[in-house]
Formats: sequence, structure tokens, C-alpha cells
Amino acid sequence: MIDRSHIPVGRKSPSIGRCFWGAALGTLLLSVAAGVCWAGARDTEPQLPADLTELSLEDLMNIEITSVAKKTQKLSKAAAAIFVITQEDIRRSGVTSIPEALRMVPGLEVARIDANKWAITSRGFNGRFANKLLVLIDGRSVYTPLFSGVYWDVKDTLLEDIDRIEVIRGPGAALWGANAVNGVINIITKTAKDTPGGLVTAGAGTEERGFGSVRYGGNLGQDTYYRVYAKYFDRDNAVFASGEDAADGWDVLRAGFRMDLEGSGPDSLTLQGDLYDGETGETILTKSLNPNAPPTLDEENDISGANLLGRWKRTVSNTSEIALQVYYDRTERNSVILDQIHDTLDIDFQHLLALGGRHEIVWGVGYRFISDDITNTFYGSWDPDSRDDDLFSGFVQDDITLVKDRVYLTLGSKFEHNDYTGFEIQPNARLMWTPQEGHSIWAAISRAVRTPSRTEEGGRLNNTVLPPGSLLPLFPGYGVVSLFGDGNYESEELLAYELGYRVQPMDQFSVDIAAFFNNYSNLRTLEPGNPFLEVSPSPAHLVFPFTADNKMDGETYGVEVAAGWRPLDWWDLKATYTYLQIQLDLGRDSGDPLSLSAEGESPHHQVSLRSSMDMTRDLALDWWVRYVDDLPSQDVGSYFMLDVRLGWKLHGNVELSVVGQNLLDDRHPEFEPELIDTIATQIERSVYGKVTWHF
Amino acid sequence: MIRKNTKLFLVICAWLVLGIGYNLYAGQPSSREYLVKGAFLYNFAKFVSWPEDALGDDQMHITLCVLGKNPFGDALAAIEGRAVENRKVVIKHCATLDELGKCQILFISRSEERNVSEILAKVKDWNTLTVSDMEGFAQRGGVINFMTVEKKIHFEINPDAAERTGLKISSKLLRLAKIVKDRETGPEH
Repeated sequence: MIDRSHIPVGRKSPSIGRCFWGAALGTLLLSVAAGVCWAGARDTEPQLPADLTELSLEDLMNIEITSVAKKTQKLSKAAAAIFVITQEDIRRSGVTSIPEALRMVPGLEVARIDANKWAITSRGFNGRFANKLLVLIDGRSVYTPLFSGVYWDVKDTLLEDIDRIEVIRGPGAALWGANAVNGVINIITKTAKDTPGGLVTAGAGTEERGFGSVRYGGNLGQDTYYRVYAKYFDRDNAVFASGEDAADGWDVLRAGFRMDLEGSGPDSLTLQGDLYDGETGETILTKSLNPNAPPTLDEENDISGANLLGRWKRTVSNTSEIALQVYYDRTERNSVILDQIHDTLDIDFQHLLALGGRHEIVWGVGYRFISDDITNTFYGSWDPDSRDDDLFSGFVQDDITLVKDRVYLTLGSKFEHNDYTGFEIQPNARLMWTPQEGHSIWAAISRAVRTPSRTEEGGRLNNTVLPPGSLLPLFPGYGVVSLFGDGNYESEELLAYELGYRVQPMDQFSVDIAAFFNNYSNLRTLEPGNPFLEVSPSPAHLVFPFTADNKMDGETYGVEVAAGWRPLDWWDLKATYTYLQIQLDLGRDSGDPLSLSAEGESPHHQVSLRSSMDMTRDLALDWWVRYVDDLPSQDVGSYFMLDVRLGWKLHGNVELSVVGQNLLDDRHPEFEPELIDTIATQIERSVYGKVTWHF
Repeated sequence: MIRKNTKLFLVICAWLVLGIGYNLYAGQPSSREYLVKGAFLYNFAKFVSWPEDALGDDQMHITLCVLGKNPFGDALAAIEGRAVENRKVVIKHCATLDELGKCQILFISRSEERNVSEILAKVKDWNTLTVSDMEGFAQRGGVINFMTVEKKIHFEINPDAAERTGLKISSKLLRLAKIVKDRETGPEH
């Protein structure tokens, strides 16, 4: 790492403030347990429509054809706010990472902090460590155990292998457990059966300094399919607000495999795994009691990890299916702030059964073991610095057909036991009414909790160091503003009320509207305590403690609209609109100076409009316009942005594409991070070219 | 809080027991797969145009032939008699190749897998939309082939085969399809 001796111009000075303590760790709890990827939300519609010939081709392609028990469900029939990003959406948008693809989804906030960090949340409370969103890749939770957020820089796979990304806004806790409070993101890759042959991609551009990938798939015997892949990218630095080049470039090498056994017999097996290793750069504000320490520090973080997942499914009968999933995940990160290693072992069992014509029941049990090992520094310390936790969970859900083809009721709940808050119960009830084909109305009430993170219970972060002299005449030496976890910290609670309407008056046009009212209690606050003198590390310094507590309540409400229109055979338009309001109330006895700022860290309005045109059979033109409202708590103004992609098929097997991203501005800021003082950088206009070869 | 949770737990147990208690009879199996494939066939008729002279003397019918062992059961009854641009769909079943007469759409059952080349050779000049659901059918010169992708039905199209038969396939259908080429003879360009 290289020291940096100046603070970039234009950065507002950090304060305890932005510290919103995104926080903390934890997590084990996370749970998620049962979210085996083959069930989106399991509000199922077991019967086929009476007249299939009325359905469009797209609808037909969406119907599950396996037996009642085996089938997952048609997402468009789910009594939840669901949005699906397809492989085609990913390809034609030209995005090069999963976080960027999520900008398509209404109700989500996706903001880039620097070249390799994102703040992503659903329905408010955004931050680098946004803690109310659960992310799964093929059923494996990637919610970070240390800070209850997601390290988006390592959440990746070969984008061409992604089948779809299902995003459920609103609580998914009844199935997925604690921390699926405001949403669940399910990244689902194709089975190896669907990726035969070879694929080579390569490209380069102004921000994408170079990237490439290789994948090969085939058969091993009659019913066993495999694929292996490797990918690498090297991305450029973004720029500081001053326009000066930042130090946040990054590169990651990743390789993995997947094997699927899909015979005609009752059993199917999946085995998959990935390995990755990379470096991410960042510039942080130095926290030090050494007068000679430079104010900022450029550093390279080493990020690496591996995971292995096995899933066995057996169709017991036409109305019953069981699944067992086991995975192991290791995440390792080394930085100046802390070194951390997390090992997770997760075991899930699930049973899906149809009872009579009316009930479709899914239940399951899960166990998760998480072990971590942290190297404490002056920036952050955890007590104990190594900890093992167990999480036990169970869930049951019943999809009840009240009136065939018309009215469905879903009742379900998750039951969990974690080492932080003990027993948690998270039920929901969902009702779906289809007055006629092409119209459906749904409503839901759910309870969800966000269990304490490791940092909220036993961590300490030194947020701000005040130089000697700044505390005179109170104290001559350094002052340190520190955030402390607390063993009595409780779960945050949510009661959510949702309402939705979907209409498809004709093949070419559809609208999906969801509205919600969320009532939170026990939200995190940071309560100031009495300053005390600390002699170690030396020199002696005065500590201003802020301790995690649960003294805030809040309400959020909003509306999300997704519309699709195909005005011509070769022209597709997709629009989304998101409206969000957040109102927070501090308890009377709270002295928290900052947590209310979350009200202004989410945009009130967001709009996205995507156009896909097939100019000829071989030439495709796509453009994507986004509008994001300003963030009043931050110095981030509203912005319009434009991406354009031109794709040209040569010979059918080779495709060339040119993509321009963030074209409307030389550079723009999107988000300032909380908790850890990484200096936010600005996203530049960029262009890249790419070759894709299938063989 | 524990007390509150326990109460909720009991309520949930109660509805589970009551809800599951009645109505305990076995679920019914269904040939969902072929119901859906039948609906696809009807949709294909809407997105394919035949040359004028291929539609028979009266121009009033679209004949859908099923060659070989019928996998549809009664599923095609749902589309029989339905109109596609004023032409009614007529269903014919043929057990063997010899019985096969002219048809606008020919669905070749898996029972005929061994005879595919022979069948395709026979209908090659009939302006027939050939459809099947066996692996490699489109690469062997069939026009449309169903495949199952993640439990859903998708289809592949061989545009060269369609062109050889004189059929015009709409871009919408092509866009939804996986495009494949002739396997042995290779692409034409």
C-alpha cells in the first residue's frame, strides 16, 4: 500500500455522522436457511389455465411442466413484489457486474461508492453495509458475517451463465429467515445441461482495462452434465471529486465448475463450486494517534474465497419432493482496517408436498455454523476476536387454493434460534385473487426481524480521531469518537403491509404495480455515553463513546411500477418507476445525533427506461436511461444517465458489441459510505468493446 | 416477547392442523407437458406464413398431423377447430409414414425417431412446418424442436430448414427461439 499525503478536494470532512454504523456484523443469523434456489417465492399456482391457447408464447415458455410437487412456480402468479432480470436483460444491457444489473429493478437502490464498492438496498436504509437485504447465489447466502451487508466486490460469476436474477422486494423472512427484511435477491445460474459447448469472451475499454472468460461444458455419461469456467477482469480507477485519478482500481481472477445429474429417474444432483482471488484498491482517511501519520492512505485489499455446494433432490411421488442442500463457504479479506476469515457450513432440508387438490405445503429445517477469525486493529476491534455461532431454523408454508384458478391464500412462518437474541418467529400471510385471466391482485402482511450483527453486539470502530488541541481546554491530547456494540442490542422489527396489481391487457403490454407500508420498531441508534480516558494504545486519549441501542421507530411507504411494452415485433420497451418516503422517529430518551439521516439517504424518485431493438436479424441496438433523485443527507445531486449497446452477430457464433456507459456526464457521484471512511469517488463515462464466441 | 411469539406459534400450528386435516386425497397427475406443447403448436401457426399454394384448395384449413404414437392424449382437442386468420385447425393422426398426406404442420412423435431422415425427405417439398421434441431434430433438418429448459418448454428453430421448405417465420418467433444450424451439411454461408 502507498501512503497518500493529501485529502482530495471536495470531500466533505468526515464526522461521526455519516457513521450510521451500517453495521455490524453479525450475522450469523442470517439464516436464510431454507432458501434453496429452486423456490422463488413459493406462492404457487398448481393448475394450468383453462385455455392455454389464449396464452402468449412468452407465457407458455414460462410454464413449469413438471409434476405438481416438483414444480416451482410461475413468478407472475406470486403474491409478492417480484421482478426478474433475465439472461437476455443482462446481455443486452451491457452491464459487466451483478450490482450494475440490479439497477433495472424497481424498488432497489443501487449506488456506487467507488470503483469496487456499492451501496445496494431495497425500500430504503441504503449503505455500504445495508443490512435489510438478503442475497443468495444458487441458494448460498452471501450476506457478510462481519458487517451485516454484502461484499458486492466478490459477488460474481460468469454473467453468461446466469439464468436469471429474481428480486423479491418486501419481507421474505417467512421463507428465508432473519435479515430478509426488505428484500431478497436470488441469483440463479443455468444448469450445466443448458451450457454445452464452448464460450470465449474478451474485451477492453476505458474503465474496463481488460476482461476475458472461458467456459466449456459437456456430458459425462448420459445424464451427467458439467461445465468449467474461468474469468478475469481488471478495472480502472475512478476519479475523486477534484477530477484527480483515484486509487480504487481492482482485478479479480475467478474459476469454478458445476455438475448436474438430471436423469429420468427420481433423483437429481448438483455439485458446484468457485474460487476467487483479487485485489481492490481504496483510499481511506487515516485513524491514528501518531502525529506523523498521513491524513489518507491508499491501500490494496486482498480478497479471496472459495465455496462448494451440493444439492440432492428426489421426487418421492407425483405430489412429494425432498431436497437436501449442503454448502461450505470461506471468505477472506485483508486490509488495513482488519483481517478477517469466515467459514460457513450450512445444511438445509426441505420437503414439498401437495395434499389433496388444495394444499401445497413446503417445510424445512436448517442448521448453520459460522466461525470467524478477526485480526483487530486500531480502526476496528472485536471481542472476542474469534467466535463460533450456531443457527437453527425451521419453516413451514402452505399454499391453499380457496377458489380454483381464482383465489389463493399462502400462510407460512419461519422459526429460528440464534446465539444473539434467541428465538425469533417471522410469519406472513398472502392472498392472491385473479378475477379474470390477465388481471391479478395480491395483498400481504408479514413480520420480519433483522437480528444483531457481530459488531452490534461486540465490536468497536474508531470513527474519528480529533487531533491534540481540538479538545482544549477540556483535554490537551487526542480525542477518539468510537462506536461500540452492546450485548443487550435487540433485533430490529418490521411489520409490512403490501398490495399489488398486475395486468396484461394484451400480449404486447403489461403493468405490475406494488405498494407498501412498512412499520419498523427497535431500529438501531447510537447513543452517546460519558467520555472516558483510555491509555492504551498510547498516547492517552479521551474516548467519546456511542453505543448501539434500539431507540428509533420508523415508517416507510412507497409505490413501484414495472411496465413492459412491445410496440413492434422487433422493439421492446421496459420502464420502471420507484417512489419512496422514509419517516423516522427517535425515542424521547435517545441522544442519537445522526441516525435520522437515513431519511435523506434514499432517493424519493427513480426512473428507468430500457429499449431493445432488433434492427436486423444480426444487429441489435439497446439503450437505457435512468433518473435518480438527489440524496438530501449527502452531497449527491439528482442525475440522468444513459447506457447504449450495439451488438452485431457475425456468422451466428460470434458476436461483437460496443457499449457506452454513463454517457451523459464526464463523471458523477452516487453515494458516500458510512462506518468506514473510504473516500467516495465518482463514476466516469466509459466505453468498451467485447467479442463473444460460442463454439 | 417470548410470550407473544409462543402465541403466534400456537395459532400457526392450529391452522396447519385444521388446514391439512381435511381433503386428504391424492393429487392428480397430468400431461401438462403436452397440453403446453399443444398450445405452442397453435401459436406457431400464428407466427408462420405458408406460401399461398400450400394452404390447400379451399384456403380454409390448417392441417396439423401427428405422426407416430400420439403423445398428446386429448390435449389437441383444445385447439381443434380454433381459427388462425380465418383458417380452422384440423387434426389428423397417422400411425405410419405411408398414411401421411399433405399437412401444413407435422408433429413427429418420438416413436419415429429412427425414421426422421426418411420423413423429412418425404415432406421436403410439401411446405410443411415440421415440429418434434427429440434431441437434435432441428439440426437434422427439422424446422422447430421443443426442448425442456429448467422444467420449462423452450424451442429451437432451424431457419435454413424453414427457408428450404418455403416457410416464413416471424421475427418474434425467431427471437424467442434458440437458433440452430444444420449439423452435417453445415451452414450455407
